[in-house]
Amino acid sequence: MVAVTESRLLVPVDESASLRNTVAYAVEEALDRAAESGSPAAVHFVYPLAERISFRSSSPRADAARTLLDRVASWAEEDAEGAAVTIETALVATHEYLSTPNDYADVLVRYANEHELGLAVFDPRYDPIGSTPLLPSLEAEVRRAGLAVEEAPRNVESPSQPLVRRGTITQFFALFAAAFAFYLLLAGSVAPFELATGAISAGIVAVALWRVSLTSPVAPRDAIKRLARFGLYVPFLLWEIVKANVEIAYIVLHPDLPIDPEMVEFDAAVWSALPVTTLANSITLTPGTLTVDVDRQHLIIHTLTGSAREELFAGTLERAVRFVFYGRAAARLPSPFERREEDDT
Amino acid sequence: MTPREIAVVALVAGGVFFAVVAAVGLIRLPDVYARAHSASKSETLGAVLTLGAVAASYGVGFNALKVLLLLLFMFLTNPTAAHAITRAAHELGIEPWTGDEGDEP
Repeated sequence: MVAVTESRLLVPVDESASLRNTVAYAVEEALDRAAESGSPAAVHFVYPLAERISFRSSSPRADAARTLLDRVASWAEEDAEGAAVTIETALVATHEYLSTPNDYADVLVRYANEHELGLAVFDPRYDPIGSTPLLPSLEAEVRRAGLAVEEAPRNVESPSQPLVRRGTITQFFALFAAAFAFYLLLAGSVAPFELATGAISAGIVAVALWRVSLTSPVAPRDAIKRLARFGLYVPFLLWEIVKANVEIAYIVLHPDLPIDPEMVEFDAAVWSALPVTTLANSITLTPGTLTVDVDRQHLIIHTLTGSAREELFAGTLERAVRFVFYGRAAARLPSPFERREEDDT
Repeated sequence: MTPREIAVVALVAGGVFFAVVAAVGLIRLPDVYARAHSASKSETLGAVLTLGAVAASYGVGFNALKVLLLLLFMFLTNPTAAHAITRAAHELGIEPWTGDEGDEP
């Protein structure tokens, strides 16, 4: 066995607002330690994936995890600025059930031993389980297994990811094409004048916004599938809106005003920015529930009546949003109500 | 009346009804959060029904498509505005009315 040096770092990753900082910190730390000890620097970014949905080799969550790892690797290379550091990424525990901090610690320690990593750097907001505070016990477990443990500092100045990110040419052209098509649609003709002004306008939009509006690379086939499922979602949402609006009209016009408002919070089982936005907006549109605040996937919702609360926790909307973005397999996850019962037992 | 006229009148009537409900709700409901419910959603449905009437009166064609796009943007922007208002209230620390402190609705 090669001597374990602390310039070889293990960094567990998950979607988190402070992830960008953690990556920068880990790379810097690895380089510093390598310079001190004279041993080569290496950073391994590991995504422990608790695969609960299906056992297929590719699932939306696995794909999302790979995308995240790719993004992390490109950040790390950016931070290394050409210095000698080995960056590796890995998706582990693909077929295991991870539910407690111990499970996560096992997976991480096993990986660290296989790759001779001596120091684990944790993201301060690392919380893959979602609802329980995992980090302190996870750190304790990993430390007990003989690894050094560090937590990356929280950067209070920029807690959220930057609005402007690195864009690709594909994103640029996708945005240009969408803006151009929309312009021509509104103009209703393809006369040379419209084509010219449309190209200029779409060009300005694309130049100004290509690094803001499309935050992940465009995958045309997935996008079309999602759009088709979204087409199914819209009539469903409209029906929900009409149904619930009638109920609200009844309440508002009732002489006794039978309301029972309450603020509720829950963690939605949807995982990235666009699905969470869609869910939050759908919740707001459905009368009786109003999204007040969102932090990653934690939603704070004002509910007007008891029946609106029941409807919310029955998770119909949440399930529909998962269907739109991740396909039918993901729609079968337990509802917020069932998850809450699981947590309580 | 032609079937189209009947549809237009029915849609406009529905739109007016929900707009009135929104206005009544705005007055009757107790606090900023509850009022946002009424102002954002009954109002959205009212506007949507009214725009639906406009689209129906145009008939199938390009103008109807533009109205449909208007509808789409209404669905996107209305909840966002309601969310912005209530979030601001929440961050200012305004407590939601729950009815058990004896205050008047």
